[in-house]
Amino acid sequence: MRTRSWLTNRKVWGLLLLVALLALPFVGTSKFLLSMMISVFILAVYGMSYDLLLGYTGIVSFGHAIFFGTGAYAVGILLTKVKNPDLLPVALLIGVAIAAVTAFVIGLLSLRVKDVYFSMITLAFAELFFIFADKFSELTGGSDGIPYVRVPAIFNDRTTFYFLALAFLVLVYLILHRIVHSPLGRTLQAIRENEQRAQSLGYNVLRYKLASLVISGIVAALAGGMWAVLQKYVNTSVLSLDQTISALLMTIIGGVGTLFGAVLGAGVITFAQEWLSQAFDRWFLIFGVLYVLIVMFFPKGILGTIRDKWTGKRQGGAQNGVSSDQRGRSVS
Amino acid sequence: MSLTLNLLVNGVALGALIFLIAIGLSLIFGLMGVLNFAHGAIFIWGAYIGWAVYGATGSFWLGALAGTAVGLVIGFLMERLFIRKFYDNHVGQILLTLGLMIVLIELLKIVFGPNILGFDKPESLQGVVTLLEDSFPVYRIFLIGVGLLVLLGTHFMLTKTKIGMIIRAGVQDPEMVQALGINVRRVFTGVFACGAALAAFGGVMSGPSFGSIHPELGMLNQLNAFIVIVIGGIGNHIGAALGALLVGILQTFMAYYVPDVALAVNVALMALVLILRPQGLFGARG
Repeated sequence: MRTRSWLTNRKVWGLLLLVALLALPFVGTSKFLLSMMISVFILAVYGMSYDLLLGYTGIVSFGHAIFFGTGAYAVGILLTKVKNPDLLPVALLIGVAIAAVTAFVIGLLSLRVKDVYFSMITLAFAELFFIFADKFSELTGGSDGIPYVRVPAIFNDRTTFYFLALAFLVLVYLILHRIVHSPLGRTLQAIRENEQRAQSLGYNVLRYKLASLVISGIVAALAGGMWAVLQKYVNTSVLSLDQTISALLMTIIGGVGTLFGAVLGAGVITFAQEWLSQAFDRWFLIFGVLYVLIVMFFPKGILGTIRDKWTGKRQGGAQNGVSSDQRGRSVS
Repeated sequence: MSLTLNLLVNGVALGALIFLIAIGLSLIFGLMGVLNFAHGAIFIWGAYIGWAVYGATGSFWLGALAGTAVGLVIGFLMERLFIRKFYDNHVGQILLTLGLMIVLIELLKIVFGPNILGFDKPESLQGVVTLLEDSFPVYRIFLIGVGLLVLLGTHFMLTKTKIGMIIRAGVQDPEMVQALGINVRRVFTGVFACGAALAAFGGVMSGPSFGSIHPELGMLNQLNAFIVIVIGGIGNHIGAALGALLVGILQTFMAYYVPDVALAVNVALMALVLILRPQGLFGARG
């Protein structure tokens, strides 16, 4: 009994949401709320980049902050040293290039071995990047970071920045949407569901995983660069484990294996964090507990669970990143 | 000469500490295929419980006992309540254990506060011993002894006892062991709890060695243990010991001569091992 009414049509809902977001600055919204929304948009891009790995390829990286941080530092360092804020596109490009090469090298080292190794090795590399940023203070400002990053004048107006960030989000969403529905994206999902089968069908699994990691790294670096523009300062926190965990939280809470889940997760996390951190000193514990509960009982996150309720599905097939993964493998 | 020898002893002592974390991590991974990302959190919980009980009773040994016991309980509960449901789901395991790490560390910060706490050596282990006209801190020598004892104990347990035989067989082929009528799940719980207890014990031992403890130490030492596992090979206690020794010595020398890149060298070593010998330097299986 699945009627294709407009209620279940995702495109209709997406357009309605977009119209609402476009109208938001015109209904007397405060500057503070606009800034919050800009963070949500940028973090949503970061979350989607992570979901390409976790949700669509089925690999868990604990070093995603490397790419976000690379993008942020590229923008921060270049715009401060060169003192010409209009070079932002160049800085973003440099950040993207470094992130792509880094992703390629780390992937080549770690994707060849068992998949748990990947999580562990990315974690080790993330620590390495964090320490480098902390020690090479001539370039990065050490733990003080780079204050007062001068950004292009166009970003000084909150409303303009809001629309630019929204456009950034929509553009990346459309590109990633295109990618996950392309033959490449389908192959990634086949690898997620059953790596051996994909391998025996003749796909070069390593090459596809590498492609996924490099694309994901590029998108995360873009988000990091935009984050530096929004914050106007960069410090080592963009490379910290917490930065990786935030991508993980957004994806898991919103819904694994759906791009929009990451967007939803970014919204939930950003607003909940703002609200919780005022009420409770160790607010992060609540996220941790929520995260564990979701992994245990709602492996599809908010969006996946709601969608299953609506469409009356009990067992999701293709869109499920966590629970149906690698069932064919034995314990070893 | 005396400096080199001193650094060497420090390095071996650090290696002994890392070994205490790595051995549990390695056996759990070898046996169950679970890489426990909360292992470092258990390590640091052990350190804090040890600190608290040591402070309250004045006895370091009581502190060590309490820390180890708490590690055992955390490990037991973790396996029974959480890990058990995820044996056939690798991605789920990784996500779950990282979540448990976040929760354990945040709880630790709530109970003890996020700040650095001083951790003094017990009186009986203060001072220096003089060997070959060089003096070494007693505590370092003590750590090396502890590490050696744990290694010998593990080795004896794994090679000479029935339970050790089951564990080694389980590392090779858990399904076959189950088919032979042994309750592998119970062995899993036991190994997981004991591995956690060893990590917590290592945490207590590390306190006086570092002189102070703070929550971030858990993650840092876990990273070292990961590197050791990659270098030494999975599920191999001798490999874990040699890997820990290598990492400990390398780390100590680097920290003295080029402190900025101490961890980088270990990560670089890990990368090198991954390129040349992905099964680990001392690992037999691929």
